Amino acid sequence: MTEQSLRIRGTGWLSALGRALGPYVAAVVASFAAAGLVLALMGFNVPKAYATILFTSFRSANGIIQTLIKFVPLVLQALAFTIPFKAGKFNIGGEGQLIAGAIGAAAVGIVFAGLPAFLLLPLVLLGGMLAGALWILLPAWLLYRFRINEILTTVLMNFVAFELIDYIATNVWPDPAAGHPTTIPIGAGGYLPLLVQQPPLHAGLVLAILIAAAVYVYTDHTSAGYELIATGANERAARVYGINVRNLFFLSLLLGGAIAGLSGAIEVAGVQHRLIAGIQSNFLLLGLIIGLIAKGNHAAVPFVAFFIAVLEVGASAMQRTLMIPGEMVFIVEAFILLFVLLSDVLRRR
Amino acid sequence: MENSQFVQFASLVMLAIVPYVLASQGTMLAGQTGLFIVSQEGIMLVGASIGFLGAFFSGSLLIGLLVAALSGVLFGLALAYFTTTLKLDQFVIGLAIFFLGLGLSNLMFKLAIGVTLQPPIIPTLKPVAIPILSQIPILGPIVFHQNLLVYFSILLSLFLTYFLYYTSWGLSLRAVGENPKAADSLGVSVVRSRYVTSMLAGALMALAGAYLPMVYTGSFTDGIVNGRGWISIALTFFGGWSPQLIFVGSLFFAGVEILALRSQVLGVGLPHQFLRMIPYLATIFIMLLTYKRVRNPAFLGLNYDRESRTSV
Repeated sequence: MTEQSLRIRGTGWLSALGRALGPYVAAVVASFAAAGLVLALMGFNVPKAYATILFTSFRSANGIIQTLIKFVPLVLQALAFTIPFKAGKFNIGGEGQLIAGAIGAAAVGIVFAGLPAFLLLPLVLLGGMLAGALWILLPAWLLYRFRINEILTTVLMNFVAFELIDYIATNVWPDPAAGHPTTIPIGAGGYLPLLVQQPPLHAGLVLAILIAAAVYVYTDHTSAGYELIATGANERAARVYGINVRNLFFLSLLLGGAIAGLSGAIEVAGVQHRLIAGIQSNFLLLGLIIGLIAKGNHAAVPFVAFFIAVLEVGASAMQRTLMIPGEMVFIVEAFILLFVLLSDVLRRR
Repeated sequence: MENSQFVQFASLVMLAIVPYVLASQGTMLAGQTGLFIVSQEGIMLVGASIGFLGAFFSGSLLIGLLVAALSGVLFGLALAYFTTTLKLDQFVIGLAIFFLGLGLSNLMFKLAIGVTLQPPIIPTLKPVAIPILSQIPILGPIVFHQNLLVYFSILLSLFLTYFLYYTSWGLSLRAVGENPKAADSLGVSVVRSRYVTSMLAGALMALAGAYLPMVYTGSFTDGIVNGRGWISIALTFFGGWSPQLIFVGSLFFAGVEILALRSQVLGVGLPHQFLRMIPYLATIFIMLLTYKRVRNPAFLGLNYDRESRTSV
């Protein structure tokens, strides 16, 4: 091959990337501009606010590690949504499954607290995945058997989970010293090992990256994953072709539930080392935003998740130092999503 | 004694139907033109936040309700624009609008009130007794000694039943959700029908949200809607997209909510967390019982493209 043809291929690749990223960059700029206008009108220092949002993650080792810790549940929650989304189904129950996973992990970690790490840690993580899958089993089965809308059933199970975690943390294994519903800690063998000691960064990061890569290979480079995408693109055509779409819906939801459950187990084994009511934070909503911004593209999900993690870490810093409510950043994220969706319309024309 | 307990329970149920009736009739109305809204939870939060702030700063609950309804109209307008004019996916846009509502409701409250230990309180909606009718034994205190939004919910349900099934406007509206191409060819504007119902739906959902601080808590918290928006979607399916059945369903869901609350107070041996799960589990159970009966508008959730040759 001549050097010239390689270079042409290279620019082709670059311009394709540019075309793919263009709408995203435009959406981010437009959202920040809109939010900046509002902030300026309210008399806040806009450049300082933006510098805080965008650069807190990169100014210190602590910032980087905070961002990576936040990245783990966000990317997993996004995948819990995007896997069924690829097949055309909506799992809006990621936080319920996260809580169930956290409960499963904590239960294993407390009951078998004496086991050595090489046994307990895998059991804790497995317990979380199973519990997450179990939490979506009812909605998935209702869809499989009766075609009952999965959006509603998965959402409603979230509210059931909020009560269950409160019950377990106050009645089953309560820590009487804590002022908030909290359980006693799990056995030390169930802790995720640390990649960095100070400030602590747990090995859940490696798990999350491995799972994101595995999901990408599954949906984009295997025939089973292609069936998933084909079903999402045209259910009827997929069925005529001979794909068992009902099984596919069921299994994709279960896989999503297991991954959401794992995100709960990682919060327990890596961050809290116990069960705490409110452990779900707002990871579900951010996960949905990430999945939708990435349009279910599994090569993009980890990068979008990292970007949102940067914004979130910046948002809490901004709230602390500049007294601007963190919700401002959540609205910016919702706007980014809307602008990304709008770019589809422009491209259609 | 038994009688008065029943009257007390039933009048609490009537009080609790309002958010369900308003949000579900709004969902139903938009659904009749094929627009499936999933932003209820977010729009209700905005209604609760703006309704509270409007009432707090103006000192008038009525003004609070009006600004809440207005904000709902804007959200309905946005939904209609993105789905009907730009033809973007209804679920995805619905979720995006839900996020926006969630963020905005909290932001507005924090900016206007700030973070306080003792949040400000607004007065609650007072019952207005209807002369003569409220004197009827049992029925009087249950139905005719309520606040204005309870009456509004009842009248709205009656009006919608009449409008959708006994007027030609209602028939054209339903045609849009069943077969937009046919409706379009007969001169019914699909776009205008969807815009109008979407804005009305937004207003009703925001009113449903504004009702919560005005009757239940007196203040705004981010958990104030607590799944009622999602339940009202299930309720709309349960009611088969017909206003009269949605009203009956609201009685049932409000009844479950009040029962779960009362059994917490009375203590029935079960931990209160399990009692609080009941409304959500009951909703799933009801979906299971009624899935066969339900017939959705044929074009529900789909966008209409006038220039497309295939109709579905």
